[in-house]
Amino acid sequence: MAFSKFSSFRWYYTLNICSTNILIMVMHEYIRKSLTIDCEAVTNYIVERIREYLEFSNKKGGVIGVSGGVDSAVTATLLAKATDNFFILLMPSSSTPKIDLEDSFEMIKFLNAQNKYKLINIDEIVSLFSNKIETNNKYVIGNIKARVRMIILYAYAQMLDYLVVGTGDKSELLLGYFTKYGDGGVDVLPIGDLYKTQVRMLGKCLGLPERIVTKPSSPALWEGQTAEGELGIDYETIDSILYLRFDEMRSEDEIVKMLGIPIDTIKKVDRLVKISQHKRLPPEIFRLSGRAINSDWRFPRRWA
Amino acid sequence: MGIRVELAQIRSYPGDVYRNYKKHLEIIETSTADCVIFPELSLTGYIIKDLTYEIYKDAEEATRKIAEKVNKCAVFGTIKEVRKGILRNAAAVIINGKMDYIYKFYLPTYGLFEERRYFQRGDPLKDLKIFEYRDLKFGVVICEDAWHPEPIEALSFMGADAIFIPSASPMRKLRENLAIEESWDSLLKAHSLMNTVWTVFTNVVGSQEEEYFWGGSRVVSPLGDVKLKLNLFYEDRGVVEITENELLRARFFSSYRDHIREFHSILDKL
Repeated sequence: MAFSKFSSFRWYYTLNICSTNILIMVMHEYIRKSLTIDCEAVTNYIVERIREYLEFSNKKGGVIGVSGGVDSAVTATLLAKATDNFFILLMPSSSTPKIDLEDSFEMIKFLNAQNKYKLINIDEIVSLFSNKIETNNKYVIGNIKARVRMIILYAYAQMLDYLVVGTGDKSELLLGYFTKYGDGGVDVLPIGDLYKTQVRMLGKCLGLPERIVTKPSSPALWEGQTAEGELGIDYETIDSILYLRFDEMRSEDEIVKMLGIPIDTIKKVDRLVKISQHKRLPPEIFRLSGRAINSDWRFPRRWA
Repeated sequence: MGIRVELAQIRSYPGDVYRNYKKHLEIIETSTADCVIFPELSLTGYIIKDLTYEIYKDAEEATRKIAEKVNKCAVFGTIKEVRKGILRNAAAVIINGKMDYIYKFYLPTYGLFEERRYFQRGDPLKDLKIFEYRDLKFGVVICEDAWHPEPIEALSFMGADAIFIPSASPMRKLRENLAIEESWDSLLKAHSLMNTVWTVFTNVVGSQEEEYFWGGSRVVSPLGDVKLKLNLFYEDRGVVEITENELLRARFFSSYRDHIREFHSILDKL
């Protein structure tokens, strides 16, 4: 699940209209090689890290929201490999495509989770919010949907003494293509260091249903919304730019040469990453004391 | 003598080299002083984290452009790539358009500081330099180097009559009398008195990330008097005249001249 915070992404709207002009490219061979993962090693590693994280957190298991998309399908599969104590929430709304709900049920079957899931349609809750707030702005309501899902996940986590396992991937996290305290409000992000294209590779290796692995990413916060349509760039291009820009620290000009794409596309991606930094960090605390949290008071998560 | 020095206590915008650059030019162009002293990393901002790698080239270019505009003397904070990929926390020293650098020796990596993640320290054997503008001989050390006796001591014995100290000192505990201000006040007075030099401390001001830089830039005479003190917490500028009289009186009536070097051979073995 990936939901954007639209207030700061005004230029999207126009792009959205002409989403047929999406820039598609074949992934550069060098980047394809760089991003290729050893599926088995990565799977074992993440599964072990999830198991260990649950143990260190003294939690019995994990709850996860499954949307029918590749990120949540992969994360749920890894979670299910790490522990039998997992619980899945399906939280569709009126803007959830029928096929996504079908694919979510495919995942329930795939994970043998017939006794470990709950279906909650969030439309009623969301419309209570939008009525009270008196808005029909689809971007505001879209973020409310993401945050309603977060509330439900945490309620289940508390009742079960589980953690909330997030499904964000590195591409979304870097772009800020998620709702702060919505799908961004989670306890741990097991696939947060894998780009979208790598998550698809992993999904394929894990034997997930083909339709889920190849489906275009979509937050589905309103009808017809797709990530690539909204961003105006396909994920292979996005991941190539992100990888070259931030993993390899290459300049815009170098990337233009390597990928043969317009510099504006690179600038667009770059800007999305920069303006969303606040979403990836804990809130700023204004220094007042002799030792301020996060500034010069730093402790590991595993403290007690 | 009688050199007029301006302290430019500015707010730097972390990562916004162009904006900081314009501020530097504005101050240099409107200054009536002989020499303008800016804070540490004034061109780049202090808390820039990994942005360091993205902006150091811009900072070097801005440094060159500022140098072209300085027909007197200016000292400001910037980043210098001393060889490919090796960066130093530097102060550019511009005299009559001619550019030189000094480097920070002690890079703090305690508390909130993480300078050694980004910078290489200067080498005292190569990087202690004495500059001369009109008939003022001066040295420059950056912030943390004033928390040790040797850098300023060395420069004073090399002939400096004034020490410029571009700094980025963040406020720790907010209270009526800032502990960090009292510490700096004591350090500057001690350096001035022990080394019979003028000390010129220019601090940055304003917020950067969660921190707040407290300003309070000041000048202490060789006799230990605070000759100028700028605002706490706000941008400010002020000019002070560095004169010979205080230097002479301090040196006539102190044991500075009797510096016993043998102590250093003991220190060397400790």
